[in-house]
Amino acid sequence: MRNRTSLSSELLPGTLEMLILKTLTRGPAHGYAIARHLERVSSNVLRVGESSLYPALQRLLLNDWVQAAWGESELKRRARIYRITPAGRKRLAQEAEGFDRITGAIAAILEAI
Amino acid sequence: MWARLRNKLLFLFRRERFDRELSEEMDFHREMLELEKTSQGVAGEAAAVSARRQLGNTTLAGEHAREVWIIAWLDTLAADLRYAGRTMAANKTFAGLAILSLALGIGANTAIYSFMDSILLRSLPVPDPESLVVLNWHAPYAEHDSVMQSMSGTTYDDPRSGVTAGIFPFPAYELFRKYDSVFSTVFAHFPGWQVRRLNVTINGHADIAAGWNVSGDYFGGLGVPPAAGRLILPDDDRAGAPAVAVVSYGFSQRRFGGPANAAGRSILVDNLPFTVVGVTPPGFFGVDPAAAPDVYLPVHTNELLGAGKQFGFRPEDYLAPNFYWVQVMGRLRPGVSLAHAQAVLAPPFRQWVASTATTDPQRANLPELIVKEGAGGLDTLRRRYSQPLYVLMALVGLILALACANVANLLLARAASRGREIALRLSVGASRPRIVRQLLTESVLLASLGGALGLLFAIWGIRFLTLLLANGRADFTLHAEMNCRVLGVTAALSLLTGVLFGLAPALRATRVDLLPALKETQGGRPARHRFRRVGLSHALVVGQIAVSLLMLVAAGLFVRTLANLQAIELGFNPRDLLLFQVDARKAGHKDPEIAAFYAALRERLSAIPGVRSASLERDSLIQGEHGLPIGLSGSPPNPANRFLTVGPAFFTTMRIPILAGRDFDEGDRPGSPSVAVINEVFAKANFGDRNPLGQHLTLREAGDESRLARDMEIVGVSRNARYGALTRAIPPVVYIPYDQGYPRPDEMVFALRTLGDPLRYVDSVREIVREADARLPVSEVRTQAADIDQTINQEITFAELCSGFAILALVIAGVGLYGTVSYNVARRTAEIGIRMALGAQRSRVVRMVLSEVLVLVAGGLAIGLAAALGTSRFVASLLYGMTANDPLTLALALMTLLGTALAAGYAPARKASRIDPMTALRQE
Repeated sequence: MRNRTSLSSELLPGTLEMLILKTLTRGPAHGYAIARHLERVSSNVLRVGESSLYPALQRLLLNDWVQAAWGESELKRRARIYRITPAGRKRLAQEAEGFDRITGAIAAILEAI
Repeated sequence: MWARLRNKLLFLFRRERFDRELSEEMDFHREMLELEKTSQGVAGEAAAVSARRQLGNTTLAGEHAREVWIIAWLDTLAADLRYAGRTMAANKTFAGLAILSLALGIGANTAIYSFMDSILLRSLPVPDPESLVVLNWHAPYAEHDSVMQSMSGTTYDDPRSGVTAGIFPFPAYELFRKYDSVFSTVFAHFPGWQVRRLNVTINGHADIAAGWNVSGDYFGGLGVPPAAGRLILPDDDRAGAPAVAVVSYGFSQRRFGGPANAAGRSILVDNLPFTVVGVTPPGFFGVDPAAAPDVYLPVHTNELLGAGKQFGFRPEDYLAPNFYWVQVMGRLRPGVSLAHAQAVLAPPFRQWVASTATTDPQRANLPELIVKEGAGGLDTLRRRYSQPLYVLMALVGLILALACANVANLLLARAASRGREIALRLSVGASRPRIVRQLLTESVLLASLGGALGLLFAIWGIRFLTLLLANGRADFTLHAEMNCRVLGVTAALSLLTGVLFGLAPALRATRVDLLPALKETQGGRPARHRFRRVGLSHALVVGQIAVSLLMLVAAGLFVRTLANLQAIELGFNPRDLLLFQVDARKAGHKDPEIAAFYAALRERLSAIPGVRSASLERDSLIQGEHGLPIGLSGSPPNPANRFLTVGPAFFTTMRIPILAGRDFDEGDRPGSPSVAVINEVFAKANFGDRNPLGQHLTLREAGDESRLARDMEIVGVSRNARYGALTRAIPPVVYIPYDQGYPRPDEMVFALRTLGDPLRYVDSVREIVREADARLPVSEVRTQAADIDQTINQEITFAELCSGFAILALVIAGVGLYGTVSYNVARRTAEIGIRMALGAQRSRVVRMVLSEVLVLVAGGLAIGLAAALGTSRFVASLLYGMTANDPLTLALALMTLLGTALAAGYAPARKASRIDPMTALRQE
């Protein structure tokens, strides 16, 4: 019953978290803004639904990689604003490096054939 | 990692806030999405639908988000516990019975094992108890001539293994003291016959205290520090040393108002001046866990206490090689083993003891030294209680087994009835481990609750057992502490039961084929399947019945033993008889005035309104037994003969019928012709059919039979009355006046025949004795009935405990049977309905169910009977008046159990007969 419009389930595990962290390096944002940003930057390739976004956010919160606080959205609505922590930045660096290695490896295999 | 764990734990307390925030956040998300769609031109309702479609399953998303935070096993556990709690609340009877029977089993076991432990394992409260040793000896023959010609103390006789004792002649003690290569200290200690009951006067107030003789290095050897003053030193224990005493901490509190007030005080001990030099530390009770001395006196004070007394200690006793009276303990030097000490000491002792033998039989029966470990002090308690405790342990072990069987059975029955529920849950996707875990949680919860309640029962049980064993004795020193190891073991056992019997049905239940189980109706289960499950629960019921029968037989044996003991014909009337002890000699009275003092006291006691008659005797009839060289004039004394010095109106007071001649009266007094009354046994043994009246008896002095003490004329023959231990044959007894010469009166027991409750007269008695002499304490006030009960205390305790256990076992087994039969009936409702629809009578249905009960019961009884026949010999030594396989007891136990089983089976059988065929069939 997963949201079929989302590609997140087809991403490598942990990738969505990495992308969220990367998004948050631009500045604090609420969940909707994060989802919109990912869609926009990926030219609508990555469509992130609630069913994958919020569990991912919870995993980040659980590890203290992001912090959440209630604040106001651009439209003056009460919204939960996420902010990356120093531990989150460190994690992002690790993940990005790991991701580079894996995609590099995948690319190498694809080219080898 | 730590951040995750901390955050997860914090989540446990923030669950609701989390849910609220998450849903608010997702609502926000959706609204933003709708807003966006609207701005893209999608109209109202369509925008919302489109947004929702894009979002997907929000509930699942919430679930997934929450799952991130959850400590999975803890959460399932909490859910399982909640569910188990609900199921238990829904089956209160089931849960209550299971928990209660487990708790009783655990509680009883913990209590009994705690006693066992404190008796067998507790060390003396002194430094380095492991290096202490107790010296004993063992001789091969009990009923045999021995180098032990006279003794004061305890020997343990066994017709098979011989005699064991811890008393030695003083010269042997001095011999041991020479071996300082083995011992760092050797010390003597014993409850000397002169100090067991001391008259201690403090500030003019006299009371009885328990004394103990100790040698000068006793306290030093034990390594005990004083609580006040100083303890007894080697220099205090020599002839001519100033008379000193050390008192126990408790005594200093009771009689001096604290240890600081006791040290240095002058007191009178048996009317002789002593100085209290110090107080033992709190918690110190000497070296015999069965005793708690109030006063410790140096061994050599026996010379002071014995001076001028007819049976007093004489200094030549120190040299006597055939007089056994000194208990010896020692502390081994570091590195010296028990075996080494034994090897070093045994040969010189053998050599010495051989030199004390004067006849060949004595030489053939020489004592052999045994060096025993002494960390726990003397083994008096162990000898007295270990066998009964082993029996009790076995019984409570069986109770626990019964309880576990019950829990198992109840769990089995329940698992069976929940087959459909489990199949349903499996079919909607619950995983097998998940369901097994759920069922296990229930049984473990059950066991845990039983264990917790069991702890409570254990605490009560220990208090109750202490009361029961002490039987009103204030000086009872056996205090068991709750033993955590035991509690742990029993709790673990109950847990294991829960797991085992929770797991077995759980595993089987989850292995069910879903389709047949779901289709299953109440009557139509595949036969083979049913047979196995029912087989296990039937086996448990059979086992329970067998165990219950065993316990019923045990209870029956002990109750009948007690009944037999209580039915022993005493030959005197124990009711409405008040007894108490006084020792005028210890209060300073001397011959010949002491006899007159007792005579006057007897007269004043007789005059108390409501006292029908009063007399006095050397000892109470059942607790005491005295022998002196006594026999027919002109013949040598017969050692089998017993005597008892008594006062006027003795036979009237005790209600012992005089068959010929007369009772003693006031005319039998100092100076009047010496007289005696004999019992039937004595008359028959010595005179046959001749008339004993007018014949003469001769009493000689103990230790010197050439000295004629009394020549007495027989003036009466009395009906046989018990004298000495209740269960022994009545000996030939000569009753003689207490005031007609040797043996002169010391301590006497006064006996008052009263109107109504004897204890009503205690205040008047104390008042009269105080008026007669304030220095004279009244001790051991009791009724004659209580005096006898004290000698059969163990049998009384046993009968009470075992009856309790047996009732418990009956109840538990009854519940088990009831549960099983009820379950079977419920399962067969449809079948019974069909039978009834086909015309079976109600009575036939009842008979059918009951006959199935009977099959189970018969199986259990057969096994139980075999077990009882096989094991009852282990308690044979605790029985009286019947064989271990007493047929009446067995028959009664069988009948009782059969009755209980039928009663337990009748209720479900009746219920079965009330089944309405139409309702039953409609359920199909």
